[in-house]
Amino acid sequence: MCGVIVGYLFGLGYLKFLAPPERILRWIEGSSLSNIRTSPRLLKVPPYVSLLCFLGGIIWILLLPLDEYSRRTYISENALLPGQVHTYFHGTEQNIFRAYKHEVADVLEVQEHIQPDGSKAYMQATPQHRNKKIRELFANSGIKSAVQPFKYTVGGVEYEGENVYGIVHAPRGDGTESIVIVAPIKNFEGQMNTNGVTLLLTLARYFSRWSLWSKDIILLVTPNTSTGPQAWIDAYLSQHDPETIGSLSLKSGAIQGVICIDYPFPHRFHALHISYDGINGQLPNLDLINTATQISMGQLGIPTLLQSQQHYAKAEHQHHYKNRLKVLGHGMTNQAIGHSTGAHSVFMPYHIDAITLTAVGEGWEDEMAFGRVIESLTRSINNLLEKLHQSFFFYLLLQNNRFVSIGTYLPSAMAVGAGFSIMAIYLWLKSGYEQREEADVPVREATERDAATEDKVEAALADSNLTNAQLLESPSNGGQRLTKKKEWKSIDRPLVIPLTLVAGLYLTSLVPVALLVTAPHSKLLARAGSLSTVLLMIPFGLAFALGANRSLMDGSFFSSPQSSESANGAPRKNTLVFSDLSPPSDPKIRISQFQAIVKSLSLLVLGLQLTVLATLNFSLSMFLGVLCTPLAFAGYYRDSKMRANASLIAITLFNPFVAANAATMAAKLAGYYNDNVGMKDVLRLWLQNVSFGWNVWGSWGVLVGVFCVWIPAWTVATMGAVSSFVIDEDGQLPRKIEKVKEITKDNLTDVKKATVRRNSPGPVRKRKD
Amino acid sequence: MKCLVSLPEALWVLLTFVSCLSIVAATDYFERLDLTPLPLGSLLASFEFRSNESLEAYASQDFRYFPRSLGQVLQHAGTKELHLRFTTGRWDTETWGARPWDGTKEGATGVELWAWIESDTEQEAMRKWLTLNQGLSGLFCASMNFIDETRTTKPSLSFQRTGDHRNASLHLLHGVLPGKAGVASLLDGHKVFDASWQSMSVDVRPRCVSGQNCLVEIDQTIDMVLNIARAKRPREDPIPRPVQPYELICDETKPYHSQDTCYPIDALETPAWSLKDVFGRPAAGACPLAEEGGPEAKSLCLNIPHSQGVWIGAGGFEVRSPPGEAEKRCYQMIAGEPFDFDMPKTSVRTHKQIELEEELITAERTMTGHGAAKGGMRTVFTNPSATEPVNLVLFESLPWFLRPFMHTLKAQIVESEFPFEWEIIKDLYYRPAVDRRRGTQIEVVLSIPPASVVMVTYDFDKAILRYTEYPPDANRGFIVAPAVVRILDKADASGNAKAIYLRTTSLLLALPTPDFSMPYNVIILTSTVMALAFGSIFNILIRRFVAFDEVPENKIGKLVKSARLRVATLKEKITGTKADKTE
Repeated sequence: MCGVIVGYLFGLGYLKFLAPPERILRWIEGSSLSNIRTSPRLLKVPPYVSLLCFLGGIIWILLLPLDEYSRRTYISENALLPGQVHTYFHGTEQNIFRAYKHEVADVLEVQEHIQPDGSKAYMQATPQHRNKKIRELFANSGIKSAVQPFKYTVGGVEYEGENVYGIVHAPRGDGTESIVIVAPIKNFEGQMNTNGVTLLLTLARYFSRWSLWSKDIILLVTPNTSTGPQAWIDAYLSQHDPETIGSLSLKSGAIQGVICIDYPFPHRFHALHISYDGINGQLPNLDLINTATQISMGQLGIPTLLQSQQHYAKAEHQHHYKNRLKVLGHGMTNQAIGHSTGAHSVFMPYHIDAITLTAVGEGWEDEMAFGRVIESLTRSINNLLEKLHQSFFFYLLLQNNRFVSIGTYLPSAMAVGAGFSIMAIYLWLKSGYEQREEADVPVREATERDAATEDKVEAALADSNLTNAQLLESPSNGGQRLTKKKEWKSIDRPLVIPLTLVAGLYLTSLVPVALLVTAPHSKLLARAGSLSTVLLMIPFGLAFALGANRSLMDGSFFSSPQSSESANGAPRKNTLVFSDLSPPSDPKIRISQFQAIVKSLSLLVLGLQLTVLATLNFSLSMFLGVLCTPLAFAGYYRDSKMRANASLIAITLFNPFVAANAATMAAKLAGYYNDNVGMKDVLRLWLQNVSFGWNVWGSWGVLVGVFCVWIPAWTVATMGAVSSFVIDEDGQLPRKIEKVKEITKDNLTDVKKATVRRNSPGPVRKRKD
Repeated sequence: MKCLVSLPEALWVLLTFVSCLSIVAATDYFERLDLTPLPLGSLLASFEFRSNESLEAYASQDFRYFPRSLGQVLQHAGTKELHLRFTTGRWDTETWGARPWDGTKEGATGVELWAWIESDTEQEAMRKWLTLNQGLSGLFCASMNFIDETRTTKPSLSFQRTGDHRNASLHLLHGVLPGKAGVASLLDGHKVFDASWQSMSVDVRPRCVSGQNCLVEIDQTIDMVLNIARAKRPREDPIPRPVQPYELICDETKPYHSQDTCYPIDALETPAWSLKDVFGRPAAGACPLAEEGGPEAKSLCLNIPHSQGVWIGAGGFEVRSPPGEAEKRCYQMIAGEPFDFDMPKTSVRTHKQIELEEELITAERTMTGHGAAKGGMRTVFTNPSATEPVNLVLFESLPWFLRPFMHTLKAQIVESEFPFEWEIIKDLYYRPAVDRRRGTQIEVVLSIPPASVVMVTYDFDKAILRYTEYPPDANRGFIVAPAVVRILDKADASGNAKAIYLRTTSLLLALPTPDFSMPYNVIILTSTVMALAFGSIFNILIRRFVAFDEVPENKIGKLVKSARLRVATLKEKITGTKADKTE
């Protein structure tokens, strides 16, 4: 109603809102759309707009860590009441913790035994023995427990293990909701999480004494962070394959929150590190992270860290721009890769909020303080009446109390995506017009043309009123004067081959993904090598093939050889495209038109892919967008040696294969791996991770991003860039670009004649006469 | 919400129906409390109160042992038989064994009500049913008025009349109100509030002895499982703080045992307890209403092995069960004398435990899948018996927004030591849902082979609700009422057919939930768009386009024009004179 009333007033002219000045309206009216399309000055603008989009997108991201663009975190869900409860996990609970630690360390850690002959032997308990002990400790607290064996086979390697879990039933609860606390035996870095497992067991005993739980508490001990939690949650939701993954004999209700405990060293700790990145870049509700931070810092005075801050940011420097940017970068990298970053990650795809708390550093906080954080956090989640839904699911954290929400960061990825779309539209427009200088008007020749041609010419003329008018204005006494006006003419776009080519490239892009993820680990590197060789060859092969078969590019492939016109030298219309327009007259233009169409289609798809991806996995879209930026500009340049060379350099540098090797080298140099691990090993490790991630976690980001987004776009751009070197008039390899230019100059006059002949307005004038 | 808060008081009101105030014929009143220690420091307390009223007295509203308020509601709604259940928590079959009363006295989590209503037509039955709900809702203050048509089903196989009826045109209606309207404190609020599981039932049924002498019987039970350690905590300070070091019960045989390291073994022990510890007060002596002699007079029974010693107080004397029967001891209390006993500490390691009766079958119902569009229901039945198959009826009453696909209903044996082919699904009764009118009702007759695990599954779609149909806590999800399992073909010791029921846990169904701030955003956005779009179109539509010189001058225009002209001439004059002056 309000809208109607306002609209009514607005319509009557009493309200003036966003009314553009009359002058501007006039201008828009006066300059027709076709003028914009064919204005040489305006047509130069889009590449710069596109470049501006790319730069803008990147600068936007760089602005995010500033105070003006980020916000302070806050608790959105009132029911959480973080840190509002007294915690009682202290005192004699520590006595029990110590005893349990003895029990757990016995089965988890390597034990030194002194043999009867005095020599030392090192032994470690078997997983079965280990699980038996954990179940015994559960039973000792009166908690029901069960085991779940699982086995994953990826690339011929078997990942076997057994989860143990217990359930503390909520007194008076009926098992509709639950909270999960996880302690992996080996943490994400592969260290023994002895303290974490002990803490879980001690807390289990402590929790079972309380009667205030409204949700069941499930206590899960998994052998690792990669397969154990995945097998467990799959089985919990009955999404598992019962052949390889055991079903759960004990179950509870809908999981409202997951907390993972990681305390991988015996000494006291300084701070708690919160990991929150899920599979495929999905994130838990921000309220969960905020609650953990608030409880840890506010209630118990333990600093919290994010994204491995402990390695690069001192506590007092966390708010510095540089450090915030690093946190942002780490977060975005984790999100883009979309792999597990801890036991919590696998819960995210099922819309279950989860975080891992890791003890880091040396300080004076002991395991009981850690336990109190978990206690208070569990109490907060226990308070929830509804699923966590109030706060953000899409955010980038900069510091433990600052974040950027989706509304602020999304424009950057969208701008980058738009950059490609603008280039695509620009190339599409460009490919539909031909700039030509009108030459003299040979009247007599035109009179001899047959009626069919006349019709066509008329049609062509109708499309370009400007030409018609200008020519009519020119002297009409049959003289040989040249009209020196440059003008734009609509031309036909041959679409069949470009569409087939681009669609083919994108559709077949899943083939290498399938080949990689099904490869056995032993052959992974070899298969990746041969795959990249093939993928590298494709654009060159395409460029040479097209160079050798020019008919594919100039549209004459589909025209019948019997055509009288093709014999005449004037190309026929493309018979497959129902259009009144004729293809470009100049064969060179036809080649660049073909290249422009292919490029345009590919960039269009790229722009769309990136925009869609930005809503699913912002960071992946952003990284891919930035890496693909040169592809928007690299391509076929027939008359600029500099641009052709720059294209070649760009596609060589920004090339998935070079990037993979560069990243490996960077990781090696940064010291993430031991010296005895070679580049090849690192590469193999990464490929294994990618294959494992795809098969176990369903993590598709990197593979789909590289093979279905980047490589097809790169292939098209490379094909264009190579084509500028290998294609000339005759389909021969020229020695120099200059030579191409010379040839084109020589041929220019012939071409012009042909053009004029075909498009001469003779008949019109004849009628006028 | 107000109703929920005052619920305990309402129930207390009901329980005063059984308080011993008036002197009446002893046979018309019976009460009993059974105490059964359960493993892991739990205690099952089953109260039963039963009273009779002759049919004539009931019809003429001459209520003596029958609560007047309830009787009037029942008579008004034409209810012949009523079963009302309030249950909270879940019965832990694995730890606690078979259910008390074979599950006949417990309901699903929340409120469950079924009744036989006398009426000529179905419409009338439904009308009376709603009247009954409203009446009980007021009486028990338990939001039972939310048991509407969509939550009401007419079970055909699962429920049987337990009373003796003469009237043929009786309609059975079964309503389930899952959720938060459970019972609260009943006897001693604080103690019972801490119970792990609790069920209260009210059964009203006509009963005829020798065909003529008809009675109306009201049977009320309260069953609860108390955690002894929790119940013993002082009321002023119920927080389970860490105990003092000297209070820890440690395993001193551990090599690492020391002053600051303790491997606890307290969970395996049942602490010492007395009636006062557990219920807050000792028993107040025998009820004068109850029989004074005979087996029914021993109103307090303790199900423990004879080998276990109990210290009893002065207010009662003990009678042990004869050998051969299940070992238990009962106490006859003396009227007016408080009675209590002391149960010493027991441990799993040293004391013989009473053998818990094993459940004939266990049922576990869970939802499978994730996401807001579809899901699946999975019910797993485990038959522990090595020889006996179990026939049962699985009764499910599903809300209309959960739409099951019956073609996906499958029963399969997942684990079995039973080598033969077995037909699992014997019969099926299915009444599909009507959107917003009634829910789905499924009754499946199943036969579970011995020593097998059978899984019954079906898929369902989740409907999208209208946005006003969501409750205030929309993101919590919707509770799906538990399934009721009735075990068939079982007879008690005397050969009579015996009803055995068990219920699964309730489930939380996550439906696609809108962002509730969105509608307002949309309203604002559409209003803006409307204002802009409608405005510009309207502007163009009402405009008449004419050449400039064709525009007729209106009066204001003329006035303005003449005014301008005058001003101009005036200006000219002034400037002219000025110019003249300066020159």
